[in-house]
Order: sequence, then structure tokens, then C-alpha cells
Amino acid sequence: MAKTIIDAHNVSKTFNPKTIPVYAVQNVHVHIEEGEFIALVGPSGSGKSTLLNMIGGLDEPTKGTVFIDGVEITKLSENKLIDFRLHNIGFVFQSFNLIPVLTAKENIGFVLQLQHLSKKEREKRVLTLLEEVGLEDKVNSKPGELSGGQQQRVAVARALASKPKIILADEPTANLDSKSATNLLDIMTKLNKEEKITFLFSTHDQRVIKKARRVITLVDGKITSDVEQIPT
Amino acid sequence: MLFQIAWRNIWRNKSRSIVVISSIIIGIWAGIFILSFSWGLYKNNINESVYKQLSHIQIHHPAFKDENDSKYTISNTDTIMMQFQTDERIASVSSRVIAFGMITSPTIASGVKIIGINPNSEITQIGLNKNVREGSYFESGKYNEILIGEKLIKKLKVKLKSKVVLTFTNINSEIVSGAFRVGGIYKSKNSSLDETNVYVQQNHLKKLLELKPSETNEIALLLKDEAQLETVKSYSRNIVSIGKIEDWKELSPELGMIIESFNLYTYIISGIILLALTFGIINTMLMSVLDRFKELGMLMAIGLNKRKIFIMIMLETIYLTIIGCPIGLFAGWLTVTVLGRTGINMSMFSEGLASYGFSSVIYPALDQEKYTIIVIMCLITAIISAIYPAYKALQLNPSEAIRKI
Repeated sequence: MAKTIIDAHNVSKTFNPKTIPVYAVQNVHVHIEEGEFIALVGPSGSGKSTLLNMIGGLDEPTKGTVFIDGVEITKLSENKLIDFRLHNIGFVFQSFNLIPVLTAKENIGFVLQLQHLSKKEREKRVLTLLEEVGLEDKVNSKPGELSGGQQQRVAVARALASKPKIILADEPTANLDSKSATNLLDIMTKLNKEEKITFLFSTHDQRVIKKARRVITLVDGKITSDVEQIPT
Repeated sequence: MLFQIAWRNIWRNKSRSIVVISSIIIGIWAGIFILSFSWGLYKNNINESVYKQLSHIQIHHPAFKDENDSKYTISNTDTIMMQFQTDERIASVSSRVIAFGMITSPTIASGVKIIGINPNSEITQIGLNKNVREGSYFESGKYNEILIGEKLIKKLKVKLKSKVVLTFTNINSEIVSGAFRVGGIYKSKNSSLDETNVYVQQNHLKKLLELKPSETNEIALLLKDEAQLETVKSYSRNIVSIGKIEDWKELSPELGMIIESFNLYTYIISGIILLALTFGIINTMLMSVLDRFKELGMLMAIGLNKRKIFIMIMLETIYLTIIGCPIGLFAGWLTVTVLGRTGINMSMFSEGLASYGFSSVIYPALDQEKYTIIVIMCLITAIISAIYPAYKALQLNPSEAIRKI
């Protein structure tokens, strides 16, 4: 039996509770096992990003608990939560993913440096990761010199750098052309299969949804369907 | 890595960073200039007072200055003078006889301080001969020659060779008068003194006052090195046991007050400049932080804690200051060095400046200590300015920033 990696129990998030309350996520239960490749789908404003942020410890639930690999992150202090994220969760965002003043190599190495890895270890891991995402020739390129797709691949490499158990991606292909999106998905699928990294991504993109083995649909902050499928 | 990111961050928006650096440069330059200008102004004033009027030390009879009466004299002046003249620490010694009275021209009368001098000793003592604008410096050899300031000449409506009458009380409290002929007209840097001080031959004044040949009212000492001031003062006490010995600061307490008020004034001005600099830096750095709201959120999401975010923002401001500070210091030092040699000609305000005893050419000067103070003040300004933008960055909730990504 696979190990539970994400367990969100009865999670709710209400914005502006004292003025005009907005119920972004309501009483959601999500149980995800290690190595799953899940698409979180739903119309805009359905609460996908909010749920993803709560699972990633970026947002605090108004109600409910979130366990990541057995650790109740909703009880962690701010600094401990930042440290937990650094070692356990990788993030890929839709945009503003990279530090603009650093090269591809430095962006990936930054996370490793925060983990206090030696320079030699960092160099080795960064080059391996860049090879994995097919950007070994862009080592010294800054984000501004890379295409959108290449930037997202660097972001995936950075998310992988700390060897996280989970990668949370919020609409990672939203700003990419078809070719770049397919390329990124192939990399993510490969990493999921080979390194057993759990992927949870919110998306509207049908190409991404088709690649997922499980699709959770959110409507008005509630899960309306949670189905497994054979990726195509 | 934080150092590297902070360094590169400041060059992301070059024009913004250049504005901050320029304001730091201008701030430091302005601070240095104002301080050096003020110091130059009152240093000149001190030199003018010490070397052209007061000398370093003056010795009087203890009651002389309170009573302003010529009968309070120092005896055995010749012996005392001899002892001072042989002292290697002393550059020049003068004895003076002083009376307070009236000067009368055919049209007007005015209160004056009549100073009886030995013309030769005053050449080295206060360089009085250099101030003579018209006529000569007691070169006629006539006993009744008088040297009058240009301002008083105009007031009395007299000219060179005109006859004036001095009226005063002698040591026996009898009113005496003496006729004098204007032999020279002088103009010093202090127009107020030019209006009140007149110089005559000491021996003639002594006769009119009925003083003994060895009696004088004032002995003035000019030192070779001001650092010897206290030791010479102590030494003088042994020589003139009953004399009141005062240095230039005691003789002219208003000079000390001017210096104090200038110090205060310069620190206030520097403070205002630095305050303006603080707001400039806060504004720019705050804009820089708010512009990077999403990016800072992303950094927090990937594991950069708030302490490190705070350090990063602080480093950015400190880098800007570290770049601006030496340039500003160099520009200030260069300005002080160049203008310290050429001087700043303030002749359009010469009348006003002269009435306070200031020269119309100011030579800015600044000692090492003041440069250090400016650097420290500037660094403190930079750190204080950095705190608020860095604090604002700490207020950032990563989820709010991320939600917008």
C-alpha cells in the first residue's frame, strides 16, 4: 500500500470573514498518496489555487488540518513552515517563477544554498537537473534570455533541486505555447515515474488534464468529482 | 548568495539606483561643504581676532577691565617685557596704555578707546602697519600723531592731517585733553573696532595720563604655538604676580558663543540634509520593495525566510550608501581642498561680515574628525532609511503575493 503524502482534512478557507465573506474552499477532504500525478481542475474562482496554497503551507486554512508526509503543517510556526517547504515541497508558478538577476544555474543553486549544500555538491546537482530538463546549454542564461517554456523548465528544475516529496504547480502551462507545454509535461511525467515525486497541479489545460492519472474537480470551493483515469 | 542577489538587485533599475546614489553623494558633499564653510568662517574669525586684535594672552591689573580706568596699571613693565622677550615660546610681546574718552572733530564727537602703543612692537604683534590705507604708520616721528579707523574718519568728517582732540580722565581723575593730527587711516577686518579704536604714541599718552614710564595697562603675548597656551599662562603668573592673565577665549567670550552657535547651526543644517536624504532613500527603496512584491512572495514560497528577506533589503540600501559615500566624501574633500586654497570671495557681503569681524574671503576647512562624523551620520541615515522598506517587506504575506502570480 502506498504511503499517504498529502492529507487535507475538512479544509476551508474564507476571505474577509468579518466584512463580506468569500468562501474560497469549503470542507474539502483530499487524500493523496506518494507518486500520484493529479490535476486539480475547475473554473476560475473555484478555489484551485487557494487549495494548492493551503496544501503548500503558503496560506493558512480558516478551518481544518493539512498533513504533509505525516507532519501537520497547519500547526507549524512561520519559520518552521518556511523551512519545511524548503525541504519537502517544490513550487512551480504560472509566472514570476525565477529570480531575474540570477542565471539558470544560480536560480537552481539558490535553493540548494539555502539548504547549506557545499559548492561542489551544488554544481553537480544543478548540472544534473539542467540536463534532466534539457537546458544544459542555458546554464549561464538569465531568465530574461530564456523563452517562457525554458523558464518553466528551469522552475521545475529548481522545484526538484531540494529533492522534494511533492511538487505543487499552479497552472504551469498557462503561459506556454503548445510545444513548450508538451515538453514540460513530458519532463514532469518522466520525473513522476522515475523519481516517484508526487505532482499536484491546478490547470485548465486539456493536454495537462489528459496526462493526469487522477483528476479532482472543484466547483465553488467544493470537490464535485475525484476520478482516476488512464493518461493519454 | 544574499549578498550577490542584493548587489545585482540594485542594478536592475539603474536609473533608480543612480538617483539614490546621487542623493547620497549630494547629501555628503553638502554636509561637508556646509561644515567646512562654517569652520572656515569662524576659523578665519578666530585667527583675525587672535593675530590682529587680541593676541593669545593679555595681562591687566585685576581691576582694570571692570573699572575701565587707566590708573589700574602693571608696574615694572620693562622688566616683565624683558623676561617675556627672552622666552622662546613667545613670538611677540607688546605693552599698551589704554584710556577711554572722547574724540572731537570740528563737527562731531564720538566715544573711543585710546590705545597708546609702541609702533614697532605692534608691527609684529597685530600687524597694525599693514592695515594703514592712507597716510603713514607713525613715520613722521611727531609725538601727537594719531591713527584712526576709516569708519571713524567718515563719522568725524575729517581727513588725513586733520586735527582732532582727545578728551579723557587721567589717573588723578582730572579731565585732560590733547590735540592730535591724523597721521594715518587704517581699515581692519572688523569694522566695529575701526569705529572705536584709535592708536597714539604710548609715551605721549603716558604723559597725558600722568603714568610713570614703567607703568602700562596691558601686556599682550603672541605665542609661536597655540598648544603652549596653558603653560605660558602658568609661567606668566610667576612673572606678573598681581596681574589678571587671560587667554583669547576668556578675553572674547562672544567668540566662543559664535563658535558654539555655528556648531549647532551646522549640525542642524546637516541634520536637515540627512533627513531629506532619509526620506529620499525610504521612498526609493519602498518603491523597489513594492515593485518586487510578487517576486518576494515567490522567494518566501521557495524557502527564503523573512530574516533573510530583511537582510537582503538592508544590504541593497547599504550597498547604495557604500557606493555613494566615498564618492560624496571625495567630492567634498576635493571641494574643501580647492576652495581652501583659492577661498570663496564673499565681497558682496563684506560689510555685513566685517561688522561681525568676519573676513570677506572664506577659506573652507575641515578636520579629520568631522569627515568621520559625516560618514557615521550617513551610514546611520542609510541604515535607518533601510529599516522601513525592509520592515514593509516583512509584512508581506506570501500567499497574497502568490495568489496574484
